[in-house]
Amino acid sequence: MKLTTQIRRLFALLGVITLLCSIALAQGGATGPAGQTTKGAVIKGRAPVNKTILSVKLPKAEEATLPNGTRVMLLENHKVPTFTMQMVILSGGLADKPDYRGLAQFTAALLREGTTTRSSRDIAEQVDALGATLVAGSGLASITTNVSTSGLVENLDQTLDIFADVVRNPTFPQAEVDKYRTRTLQSLQVQRSSPQFLAQEQFSRAIYGNHPGALVAPPAESLKKLSSKDLMEFHSANYRPNNAILAITGDVTLKEIMPKLEKVFGDWKRGDIPTVSIPQAPEQSAQHIFLIDRPGSVQTVLMLGNLGIERTSSDYFPLLLADRILGGGPAARLFLNLREDKGYTYGAYSSFSGSKFRGTWVSSSEVRTEVTEGAMKEFMYELKRLRDEKVTADELENAKRAIIGSFALSLEQPQGLLQNIITQKLYGLPADYWDTYPQKVAAVTVDDVQRVAQKYVDLDKIQIVAVGDASKARDVLAKYGKVEVYDTDGKPVERPAVNK
Amino acid sequence: MRRLSNSLLCVVFCALAFVNAQTQTPRKVQVDFKETKLKNGLRVFTVEDHTAPVIALSVTYNVGSRNERQGRTGFAHLFEHMMFKGSENVGSGEHFVLVFNNGGSMNGTTNEDRTNYFEVLPANQLDLALFLESDRMRSLAITKENLDNQRNAVQEERRLGVDNQPYGKTGEMQQELIYDNFAYKHTTIGSMEDLNAASVQDVTDFFKMYYAPNNAVLVLVGDFTTIDALARIRKSFESIPRQPNPPDVDMTEPEQKAERRASVDDVLARAARVDIAFKAVPGNTPDFYALQVLSAALQAGQSSRLYQKLVKEKELVTTVGGFMDEKRGTGAFYTFAILRQGSKPEDVESAIAEEIEKLKKEPIAEWELQKAKNTTRRNFITGLQSSLSRAITIGQYTTYYNEPNLINTRLDKVAAVTREDVQRVANKYLRDTNRTVITTTPKAKPRAAAATGQ
Repeated sequence: MKLTTQIRRLFALLGVITLLCSIALAQGGATGPAGQTTKGAVIKGRAPVNKTILSVKLPKAEEATLPNGTRVMLLENHKVPTFTMQMVILSGGLADKPDYRGLAQFTAALLREGTTTRSSRDIAEQVDALGATLVAGSGLASITTNVSTSGLVENLDQTLDIFADVVRNPTFPQAEVDKYRTRTLQSLQVQRSSPQFLAQEQFSRAIYGNHPGALVAPPAESLKKLSSKDLMEFHSANYRPNNAILAITGDVTLKEIMPKLEKVFGDWKRGDIPTVSIPQAPEQSAQHIFLIDRPGSVQTVLMLGNLGIERTSSDYFPLLLADRILGGGPAARLFLNLREDKGYTYGAYSSFSGSKFRGTWVSSSEVRTEVTEGAMKEFMYELKRLRDEKVTADELENAKRAIIGSFALSLEQPQGLLQNIITQKLYGLPADYWDTYPQKVAAVTVDDVQRVAQKYVDLDKIQIVAVGDASKARDVLAKYGKVEVYDTDGKPVERPAVNK
Repeated sequence: MRRLSNSLLCVVFCALAFVNAQTQTPRKVQVDFKETKLKNGLRVFTVEDHTAPVIALSVTYNVGSRNERQGRTGFAHLFEHMMFKGSENVGSGEHFVLVFNNGGSMNGTTNEDRTNYFEVLPANQLDLALFLESDRMRSLAITKENLDNQRNAVQEERRLGVDNQPYGKTGEMQQELIYDNFAYKHTTIGSMEDLNAASVQDVTDFFKMYYAPNNAVLVLVGDFTTIDALARIRKSFESIPRQPNPPDVDMTEPEQKAERRASVDDVLARAARVDIAFKAVPGNTPDFYALQVLSAALQAGQSSRLYQKLVKEKELVTTVGGFMDEKRGTGAFYTFAILRQGSKPEDVESAIAEEIEKLKKEPIAEWELQKAKNTTRRNFITGLQSSLSRAITIGQYTTYYNEPNLINTRLDKVAAVTREDVQRVANKYLRDTNRTVITTTPKAKPRAAAATGQ
């Protein structure tokens, strides 16, 4: 369950613009009496609220196994005649060699560029003509690779045929590898024009150092030496039925789908999967302040945070609630303070992630340059408040209602439900994990919340990243410690490039 | 509304038995709704769906940035933010606090042609949803302090999406250049100057003129019984007084006689970009659907002609794409490309023009037609899975076209498009004289001295 702050769909000029950024929609929130410096929301308490939290029973996935070891999970959903299918390969970026980061990602990205019987163009045309999707990817520090397809049930057989071909028989033609390399190197450059990308890159680097968690984009040196042979090797070693889970949802039944899967995956050969040791996240360093000078910026992008937890940590539920109260949506403290009270920003949120190594707990916002100082003050105030003061019983109760209540809504999101089941499998969580999730949420106390706040918000070791106009933000940040300035290419700025 | 079957309908999607995907013709997805008009003019649509214990409520107001006057660009959207800053019985910000804290989600959105508000909640919170929407339709309470607060939030939204992003200015300039009629000749986010000019009086006037029940469409989808829900809706909304109908907006868009061009120097961009638009037709017209199909063939996905030619074969660009924009008034056909270093904008333009010429000379291939139809179908019916998207879609089609049943007929309209139609609209709309081109060039800004503390 990887949550990221910066995946925000920026509104397109030609599209609609919204009250809240779209990620907020998926989140609940929490509030209560707002803090001393904020009057972000006025609660009149006259609206009719049903005090009962609807308890819902989550549907169970049906499970089966192909003779070659491929595990199959199906969540039926017959509302509309479509399906999605996700092949989870249990090797991802963490299986990369230390001197060849990105190999899992490149392998996934190039699956569509040719098989033993189809060219890159054939695949593109056939997938699109069926009205299907076919995407593959792996994160640079991910434990898995995902290859997914979705489509219309009337085209199930043909879609499945291409899907299996791409998973099993990619050839990684050298000409396609070369084209991929050059356009990706260019795209990596274009990416650096986004202030959110620059902030995320520097923040991850600050937290993880040499750990693969530091990488948000593949290193150029890996791309430069990339060859067809490397991809073939990675694929051959890791894309094996005994290293895969096939998760399906949609308008199909297990009885129908199993013979079809047998037909396209039945003779897929098992293999000996290389073992991967998961590197632990490094110890937290002392506080650092990084300022990325982005000339022309009219906002400062701020990210502040520490190392968080592993997905299986016993602190998961207290942290879930602490995060919800701090910045998990528009009803949380950061949003109510920085936006609804101060008007500094369009949104301010926190989020946490956790995998097989410790994730991060991070707060972030984009604020106009002139109020960088005020925003820093409020961030530090809210972080300190969460540590120093217990949250109120009302705040905690509201956060619990938000999370447990949203289970009803999740029933309309079969792919989300399926993702939950995959998470349970990947991290070896108990079989009744999602059924008992509401009880575990309900059991968290105000003391638990304060305990994890004190444990994971460490202001002596907090990493602060700002992207913006350094000539204006530098002095503001210097109040919090020594500021290290970089340019947008990641190079330290020692002296002015140009004197004004 | 002719679909409004018997008063008690419980089936949303017709539950045809699934037989065999290989031999079966595609199953049609049907949304059965009931329309009820309240005495004050509010149009109400209800769709029962008991598959999940959820309700989705949308209220769509027939007002967007097309209704703005000169000097008040961005106002419709700023007003939308004010709808969350309190009414007689709901405090400032209490709306989203109540929705999120009860396990729901919500938002409000504004575009040129309409403004909508929606929430999804567990089904036992129906009264809460109706209370929140009716209280603000009845009694919005605006203070100068709250207006100033949301003015700031909206200005940050503009900075986040336009002023602090590469190509932000490009899109803005393009819209101003394509259109002649003020209704669409400005962006929905508006200018900083105009946002600064908005007053409490503007908010009051706008509310009275546009936020009346007779200018709104309410859609409720989900786990309720229709008779009971309608009684609750009447109780919450029917006593809100109707207002005089707002004036119609003149949407006449003169024919374009010559190509329009502009260039932008962008200090935040790292790669050059070409944006091309052709002024075309309103949404939900036969030519609109034909242009959508054309867009699929030309520029959607990796199989598209532009991707294969410009990204793969000629390696001129890293990204290419576009779409046919759906508007109540004249929409435009858009194409954009982000250039690789060393590529010339004129080469990219002529490569795109060559592909467009081919579309004029001969019909698209059969597989391209299938691509457009199948992709549209998958996207559309996937969207219909959630209560919320059905609530939003019915509200939108009713407000845009007075055609709520378009939710059931839209795919037929796409299916009616022929290869010859695509060739015909290519010749009719994708003409040089009908074109607007913006070229964006990266222009690095020198680093200021104080950045380094020297």
